Parts: sequence; C-alpha cells; structure tokens
Amino acid sequence: MLTPTGRAVRAVLAGLLVALAVAGTLVGQDDHFPFAPFRMFSTRTAPEGEVRVAELRGAVVGGSGEAVLSMASFGLRRAEVEGQIDRLRTPRMLGELVRSREAVRGDLPLLATLRLVQVHYDLRDGQEVGRRETTVAEWHR
Amino acid sequence: MTWLFAPGPRGRIAALRTIAYLFIPIDVLLTTSWVGDHADVPGTLYQPLFVGRLLRLPPPGPVSVRVAMAALLVAALVAVTGRYPRLLGAAVAALYAWWMLVAMSYGKVDHDRFAFLVLLAVLPTVGAARQGDTTEDEASGWALRCVQLAVVATYLLAAVAKFRFGGLDWATGATLSRAILRRGTMLSEPLLEYRWLLVAMQFAIIAFELASPILLVGGRVSRGYVVFLYGFQLATFAGIGIIFLPHLVAMLAFLPVERVAAAFIERRRTRGQPVGRFAGSPDSAGAHG
Repeated sequence: MLTPTGRAVRAVLAGLLVALAVAGTLVGQDDHFPFAPFRMFSTRTAPEGEVRVAELRGAVVGGSGEAVLSMASFGLRRAEVEGQIDRLRTPRMLGELVRSREAVRGDLPLLATLRLVQVHYDLRDGQEVGRRETTVAEWHR
Repeated sequence: MTWLFAPGPRGRIAALRTIAYLFIPIDVLLTTSWVGDHADVPGTLYQPLFVGRLLRLPPPGPVSVRVAMAALLVAALVAVTGRYPRLLGAAVAALYAWWMLVAMSYGKVDHDRFAFLVLLAVLPTVGAARQGDTTEDEASGWALRCVQLAVVATYLLAAVAKFRFGGLDWATGATLSRAILRRGTMLSEPLLEYRWLLVAMQFAIIAFELASPILLVGGRVSRGYVVFLYGFQLATFAGIGIIFLPHLVAMLAFLPVERVAAAFIERRRTRGQPVGRFAGSPDSAGAHG
C-alpha cells in the first residue's frame, strides 16, 4: 500500500505528465522536447506540390568527379541537415560540415569541394512527374 | 483516481526492467548509434533545446558523450540484475534523458521516445521486484498506468499534431507519398501509383490514432489493439524503414509479460524438483492433497 503522501505525489506527477504532453502538442514546439508536439509526418504535403530532399555532394582531393556523400559520414542524419538548412546556406557553415566529417570519419579522404543540393520532386495528384535540383550552398577547399 | 492506482503485477515491473535495461545497449550501440556520432560534430552545428538552455548544459563534446555513453551502458547492464533498482534505475533514467538531448539537439526532434522515457522514469519508483511475481500492488499499478498513458499520448497527440500542423485535411494530402519518395522500400514504392490507397491509409492512420484511448479500457480489447499497433509499426518499418523500437518496448506495459517468467519458473519447479518435496506447500496442496 502506498502512503497518503506517496499517492499524492504520484497523482500530481501523472497529472503533470498528461498536462505537459497535451500542452506541448497544442502550443509547444520541437524545442520543448521531451514535451514537444508529436509531429513526425504531421505536415501535409499538397498533392500538387513538391517533395524536397537534401543531398550532400562532394569531390575528394585528387579525385575526378563529384559523388553523393552519406550524411552519416558528417555525423548527422539527413533530417538534421534539412532541419538546419537555413543555417547551412553559407560556404562558412558548409566548411563546418567538412570539419565535422573530418572529425567523425578521419579515415575518409579529404574533401576538395562540398555542395548542399536540394532535389525537388514535383507532384501531380500525389505522383512524381518531374525532378529538379537547386544548389543551396557550395564550399571549396 | 482509483484507475490510476489500480494494483498492477509487480512481476511486470521486473520483466520491463530486464527488457528496457537490456534494450539500452542495443539502442545506443546498434539501432540508433548515430547519437554517439554527435560526439565529434562541431559545436557550431549544435542547436540546444529548451531544457539544455534552462539547465545551462554545455554542448556535447568528444569526452562528455563518450563518458556518458560508458556510464549509461554500465548502469543499464548492472540494473538488469535487479540490484539497487531505485538508485540504478534513477541513474539510467537521468543518463538516458541526457543521451536523448544529445540525440535531438542537432536540428531534428523525434517523437518515438516519449513512452520509453516515461518508462525509465517510473521504473525506479517501484522497489525490488521479483521475476514472475504475480502479486499486485499500487506502486506497480501506478507505474504501469503512467507508461500506458504515455503510449496513448504518443498516438492520440500525433493525430492532434497532424490537425495542428497539417490542417484538418491532412488525410487528403500526399504525406505518405512524400515519405515513400524520401525513404521508400521495395515494398512501398509500387504504392506510389495508387494514390487512392495511400489516402485511404492516411485516413486509417488518423482513425486508429484517435481510437488509441481504447488501450486504457483494459482486457481483451486493449490487448488486441496493442497487437494491432505492433503490426502497424512493423508495416511502417517495411514501408519506409522507420521503426520506433523504444516505443515498442514501452508498449509491453500493456501485456502480461510477467507470465513468461512465471511459466518458466513453474516449469523448472515441476520438472527439476521431486514432487514430494513440495507436498506440504500451500500451492501444491490442491494438486496432491
């Protein structure tokens, strides 16, 4: 049996848990994690709109051409790069990504160039009808 | 209030401890090992969350992340033994919470951890618990209720978030098409040609998320719903390669997982021991008396 105090404390904690979770979803933002809104896949993609996917492409020192680089080699997930995309619009911040890759995967060849690309899939009635690319930022060693 | 404190089986707490604490090394080293990669990411890419700013936590670095990881793994593995359940349980909960701040402070916040974080937070509130113990008490009941509430919140509030961020017409959009275009698998890519089916699935998702409070009713209906939800999460994995493993662990709070250990103990007892030795014990009186 719980003591009256034990019960009271637990009742308050359970109430807080529910209240914070509800408040987080109604008025909170990601910033309020762990009481952030449960928002994965919550935005609506318009059937006539577009889907954007970020890519990092680069050429290694002494290499011949540009290749798509895994986001993991930068120590980040794709969604994290996309979540910070507005901050990554400058060559200086891309340089920070290069620094990250050199720290996380020191075994990989050094990069000579890095390009942050956004691939746009155009939709019509929810189906892909075209593909475009835009360069968000570029960095050269 | 009666519902919140309805006695729950103590053995389920023991089983959840074993599973949750054993899951932590899998989570940290295998299934979400990307969290540890944040150790070497420069501080310029760190985006501290509200909690991190409030507590003035320093940016994660190569040393702090590795020390925390080692401490978390050691604490979790020792906690599996069931020793010092309050002390070690609290240490695991605190370390894992910090680990999650390391995970979510680089531009993307996931919502698959909520129920697991609640599970880790409430496990230490129950004292020592024996595997297979079917006796029920209020402390165990409350802890299980909290995890169950967190699981329901994860689904129900995900529907609310869809209305808030996507609008009331979220279900008629192309969100699943987007998910498949971004991270589809062999199994899901053919679905892109059947937009009506994807829209129907979006309506179904909203419907079962809104129906999730059914889980709190208890009994067969709830258990059936839990099994359905496990199926949904597995289908999601097959379709877009995302699996909410910590959430799946927390959902075990709805299932009579304590019976596995109870059955195992019972079998060992009846097989390994001569029957006569227990002839006088109260629980064998019915069978032999």
